[in-house]
Amino acid sequence: MTSPCSTNMAQFRSRATIAIEDIQVQSALDGATGRFHISHDKALAEMPDSAEMRDHLKAIRSATLARLGEHLENFERAAVAAGSQVHWATDGTEANKIITKLAQERGIDLVAKTKSMATEEIRLNQAFLEAGIEPVETDLGEWIIQLVEEPPYHIIAPAIHKTRGQVAEMFSQVTGQDLPADDIPRLTAVARQLLREKFFAASMGVTGANIGVAETGSIVLVTNEGNAEMVTSLPPIHVVVMGIEKIAPTWDEAAPWLALLARSATGQPLSIYTTVITGPGRVNEHEGPEEVHIVLVDNQRSSYVGTTYEEVLQCIRCGACLNICPVYREAGGHAYGSPYSGPIGAVISPLLFGLKNYEALPQASTLCGACLDVCPVRIDLPRMLLELRADEAEENISPRSLQFIEGAAAYALGGERLLGWSSGALRLLQKPFVKDGQLNLPKRLNPLGKRQPPALAKKPFRQLWEEEEKNWD
Amino acid sequence: MSARDEILGRLRKQNGEASLPAPWRSRRQFTDLAARFSEALTAVKGEVRRAADLDGALEEVAQILEEIKATRGIVDDDPLLDKIDLAKRWPDVNWFTVGRNEGDLRQFAAAADVGISIAEAALAETGSVVVSSGPGRSRFTSLLPPVHLALVPTSRLTPDIFTWIAGHDRQFPSSLTLISGPSKTADIEQTMAIGVHGPGRFVAILYES
Repeated sequence: MTSPCSTNMAQFRSRATIAIEDIQVQSALDGATGRFHISHDKALAEMPDSAEMRDHLKAIRSATLARLGEHLENFERAAVAAGSQVHWATDGTEANKIITKLAQERGIDLVAKTKSMATEEIRLNQAFLEAGIEPVETDLGEWIIQLVEEPPYHIIAPAIHKTRGQVAEMFSQVTGQDLPADDIPRLTAVARQLLREKFFAASMGVTGANIGVAETGSIVLVTNEGNAEMVTSLPPIHVVVMGIEKIAPTWDEAAPWLALLARSATGQPLSIYTTVITGPGRVNEHEGPEEVHIVLVDNQRSSYVGTTYEEVLQCIRCGACLNICPVYREAGGHAYGSPYSGPIGAVISPLLFGLKNYEALPQASTLCGACLDVCPVRIDLPRMLLELRADEAEENISPRSLQFIEGAAAYALGGERLLGWSSGALRLLQKPFVKDGQLNLPKRLNPLGKRQPPALAKKPFRQLWEEEEKNWD
Repeated sequence: MSARDEILGRLRKQNGEASLPAPWRSRRQFTDLAARFSEALTAVKGEVRRAADLDGALEEVAQILEEIKATRGIVDDDPLLDKIDLAKRWPDVNWFTVGRNEGDLRQFAAAADVGISIAEAALAETGSVVVSSGPGRSRFTSLLPPVHLALVPTSRLTPDIFTWIAGHDRQFPSSLTLISGPSKTADIEQTMAIGVHGPGRFVAILYES
């Protein structure tokens, strides 16, 4: 199990604080997540039957996982029949070894990539660099964060935290030109020209896979820019990195998946380009790669099939849960310390990379349930966050201080008399620090850092309720 | 034990109840497929031209070639265009017909002003045009030039992705693409920019057939 990073409580808090104190980042987060979410709502409302379709997709994903092994074997058979080569990797290290070996055997030194969460997960770019191979990200946002060597900020919008000024500066450095910050079309044109050279020069293309269709051994890729068409058509070898759960048994299951994917992600009815790759170029065709290699990556996934966490494997990586999450929208993507951020990241990162490494993430949620409401596959993330918290307690992973506070709270809340007594005591204790209904704790005593918690109300709710009740009679 | 055996072995032990739901049946009912197609594609900055027949469609092509002052064009070879002599009709344009012309297809396409493809299907709901690789058809026609014109006979319109899949024989060439607009990005400050890697201009020419 290789962990891209780690996130304990102190790390989450300090990274979140950086995002919260950065006005630009906050406005970018509000703008992007808000826009995505509004478009999402509109796109679903325009359909006659989005609620039933989501139930349908849930049933598909759940039934597919129950027989995942068989579907994977069917996928492999059909992919091989179409001329692809299929590789299996139990973890990221194995996958990276397979891919870098393919490149080295062919003397490849430049690789063009599409944005792919699976390759972020296994840190393929790092493996390429260590093998002396240059990977170039060709999704505009992903290229931007590659230039600044940062992890993606959002599952579908990796560079939302960067301003046009910062992008202009970066691109100016790369091109040696002096690019104006206020001209986004010009910046895009610069990227088009520079990356087009890379598409033609690269001798390997690497993509992820939005869906693998077992019936035909096809890989489905969605983009808005058209970079997947470039990456899968120009270089002589195409390597696909796919998590084993991204299988649709037939096209009947792939269709509702596609109908909901872009709508849930950006609110588009379909992405601009939906590309279906079925093997290398054929003899009667005029182009296409000579080889297609599909690397099926497990990386812990199979160990969760049949467990309480199986549901997380139904995820189609649309990012809708990020856009609605009150924690993600403030703390930002980097607080999670994982390529997978937001509510889905808070569940999937500890599962893939180890609960010990990501102990803060199950706590980084208000359990408000908005992620469950918005998920196209209706994944019960709040349930799994609670399960992970229980695992933390059981495995003694949560920090001592938290265990103590939780223990004390459980004890105090356990009985009416004790609750009345302890809240009465706290009311007395807080007195010197209360100002206008707000606590003003000295820094040393404040567990929330710079934030001040509200003071306990003068009268407890139960007392108010009793007084009200008297008036009813 | 190989990685494959390890993964499949683990999964086999967890086999559960599995019955896939019956295929989703589209409940979309569009009274006018062409109108819905136009509306959907225009909404995402694609362009739609309408014509009464193939001749009318070629008139639209002529207008656009004139407008962009095209000098190099790549065109897919299709029975629909069998009787049309492009070089005679547009002598100012240097034409490359996929599968007929000798020479480097990719270099020609990369330097072309326009690519012309013929849609094998079109989805009304999403304003999508389906193109694919195959004899006489190139992936590069719809990808490398800055302008892509797709000829779409109205008989090839289908309501949505579900009706398209239901009618598909599930024989796929190496590449098939649903194109639903011009190439675009919103990766810099969520501001829309057109023509990132693919064509910045996508025109579907719908004609009655």
